[in-house]
Amino acid sequence: MDKIIDLYLNNLQTREKWQSFLKKHGLSNFSPREIDVIDHTFGLVNDDGKLVGTGSVADNVLKYVAVSKDEAVSGARFNQIVTALQQYLFAQKIFHSFVFTKTQYSQSFSHLGFTELAHNDVAAFLESGTPDINDFVKAIPRIEKQNEKKIAAIVMNANPFTMGHRQLVQLASQENDLVYLFVVSTDASLFSSNERMNLVKSGTADLKNVIVLSGSDYLVSKSTFPAYFLKSPDDLIATQTEIDALVFKNKIAPNLAISRRYLGTEPFSNTTNVYNQSLIRILRPNIEVKIVDRFTVNEKVITATQVRQLIKQNKINDIEAYVPTTTMQFIYEHYRELQDRIKKGMKIDGN
Amino acid sequence: MTYVKNRLRRTMMFVPGNNPAMVKDAGIYGADSIMLDLEDAVSLTEKDAARMLVYNAIKTVDFGGAEIVVRINGQDTPFYDEDVKAMVRAGVDVIRLPKTESAAMIQKLVKDMEAAEEEYGVEKGSIGVMAAIESAKGVLNSPEIATASPLMMGLAVSGEDYTADMHTHRYPDGRELEFARNMVLQSARAAGVYAFDTVFSNMNDTEGFFRETNYIYELGYDGKSLVNPRQVAMVNQVFNPTKDEIENAQAVQNAIREAKAKGSGVISMNGKMVDKPVVEKANRVIETAKASNLIDEEGNYIGE
Amino acid sequence: MEIKTIGVAGTLESSDIQIMITQGNNGIEIDLESEVIKAYGEQIKKVIIDTLTKYGIENAKVKATDKGALDCVIAARTLAAAQRATETSNHPELEVL
Repeated sequence: MDKIIDLYLNNLQTREKWQSFLKKHGLSNFSPREIDVIDHTFGLVNDDGKLVGTGSVADNVLKYVAVSKDEAVSGARFNQIVTALQQYLFAQKIFHSFVFTKTQYSQSFSHLGFTELAHNDVAAFLESGTPDINDFVKAIPRIEKQNEKKIAAIVMNANPFTMGHRQLVQLASQENDLVYLFVVSTDASLFSSNERMNLVKSGTADLKNVIVLSGSDYLVSKSTFPAYFLKSPDDLIATQTEIDALVFKNKIAPNLAISRRYLGTEPFSNTTNVYNQSLIRILRPNIEVKIVDRFTVNEKVITATQVRQLIKQNKINDIEAYVPTTTMQFIYEHYRELQDRIKKGMKIDGN
Repeated sequence: MTYVKNRLRRTMMFVPGNNPAMVKDAGIYGADSIMLDLEDAVSLTEKDAARMLVYNAIKTVDFGGAEIVVRINGQDTPFYDEDVKAMVRAGVDVIRLPKTESAAMIQKLVKDMEAAEEEYGVEKGSIGVMAAIESAKGVLNSPEIATASPLMMGLAVSGEDYTADMHTHRYPDGRELEFARNMVLQSARAAGVYAFDTVFSNMNDTEGFFRETNYIYELGYDGKSLVNPRQVAMVNQVFNPTKDEIENAQAVQNAIREAKAKGSGVISMNGKMVDKPVVEKANRVIETAKASNLIDEEGNYIGE
Repeated sequence: MEIKTIGVAGTLESSDIQIMITQGNNGIEIDLESEVIKAYGEQIKKVIIDTLTKYGIENAKVKATDKGALDCVIAARTLAAAQRATETSNHPELEVL
């Protein structure tokens, strides 16, 4: 009988055995970015002690799932591995999980109670457990006769909330009856999720038709970015962003009658640029995509990246022109702390 | 189901207690005893669920007449109390205590079972106990363990844990288990209870399995623990009596019948007295022959 | 019985059923996935509802992923999930089964 065992990838031999097994099964991306986030890995061994299956978890995402197909029992092995991964998550009170997988394996996960949220030619994105995307959408506040109104959506990280963000939101607020403003929930930025959320809320408090919400796991979430089966980073970004756009288009927008998505142009970030291209490609024509040029101050484009640079460079006085007073006040109050975070290694040059 | 002290127990098949597919099919392989495992085969996080599954399976699944043994979790674990209660309530045949090291541990188990029998209205003494001997201390105390309770069904050597305790591991020739096997068997025989050998887990070493099974059969073991259903037929093959043994046993039974018909108190055969061990051995041989379909209803030999 | 947390029991392996119980306020709502849903869907739901009702849960959302489980397995998994959801696993209420 096959047996589930713990695999400790911190052992070099184990790791090599694991990688060569996965390579045989068509998985080839072992970049540190993908592997370092793994929390735990299980193996499945047969009576001879040979590795016949494996699967890993990183946060609430199932990764590197593969089973040997040389015998008739590959289905049973797959179920055994996925069960082991889920029980590992359940034991930590994680009852909601995701998987990014090749499109052809979507069906196998569906048979185990996973629900597909989106797929394109190469990848599929599924979730299992509770609360799920329906619960997420259901909990979002609505207005009367929403279906007849002009509803727009914006997704932003707001690290931190700048005048550029503010003006984008303001424009959307003026042009629509209601604006859903989703703030990226992943906690991997200089300003924490809570801080970003609060800065966006206080920076838009006067705009009565703007509802600020967490993007949760469904809108630009880092935990759902493991497209490890792809060969190049460009492919990886394109695939992930397409999936993200599809989730928004098919699962979120229709239920909230969202007919417009507002984007800021992105002169500096390649990733955001690719993302914007994916959104345009996927969302149109069902959803109007409005691309708004970055706002400028003294002919300089405002970006959150610059604000973070200025904090690092200790040029607090230069920040004032770029951010609303609410954000400025927060930076004043937490100036040392923010600088400490940068000193401790928090990267500030990303998004 | 009720515990029967004396019955055929050549094979005791281990079945993981949290695996419905294996629990449901456990009865179809012809094992004499089925040991549903709540201990090693169940991870710490699934103890509660496995207990419920085994409880419900005992109440509803048809195990084809096999004796149902449940290996509960040890007395040093937080699962022990509820395991005992649940299995008494389910009406299992035998409760197997892991890591038994003293008569006191068995006596505690019996006391806890009595309390549960009282609480749930289960007939007192209707469930047997057996001890898994898994350590040096357990082996040395096996005489007192074997006689710890009238409900004692038997002793089982557990090779993996024992060899670890002895700072060694299992070897193909089994010399590392020699003392334990003999000691436990002596204790069981002296106490009039059953003796079971440990599992042999390398399914690909058929030759090794037969070698080990032949060896423990020759020593005098009643049965062997198994992890794979395929091993049931292999053990039975080793434990099958020969045609000569069967004929001899039948002769013993005929001698008894004749003596009874004559109202004679003394039974003799071929000029020798037929005493209790001879009678018991003959009964065992015939029972085994019947179970393995070596003789028909009328006692005619139908084996190969 | 008050549901305090999410309770899951059972596996996705053959002959088993995975039951996930969460708070609900609309009776017992069951979302069942099974390859034999046409033939046995109603029976599976009945066993789940009977078990929960007997245990004293009146409102719950249940997600069940069935892999061909027998009734005795369905009941055992439902009770295990329910007791985990009510944080009472240390005191198994076997009379429910």
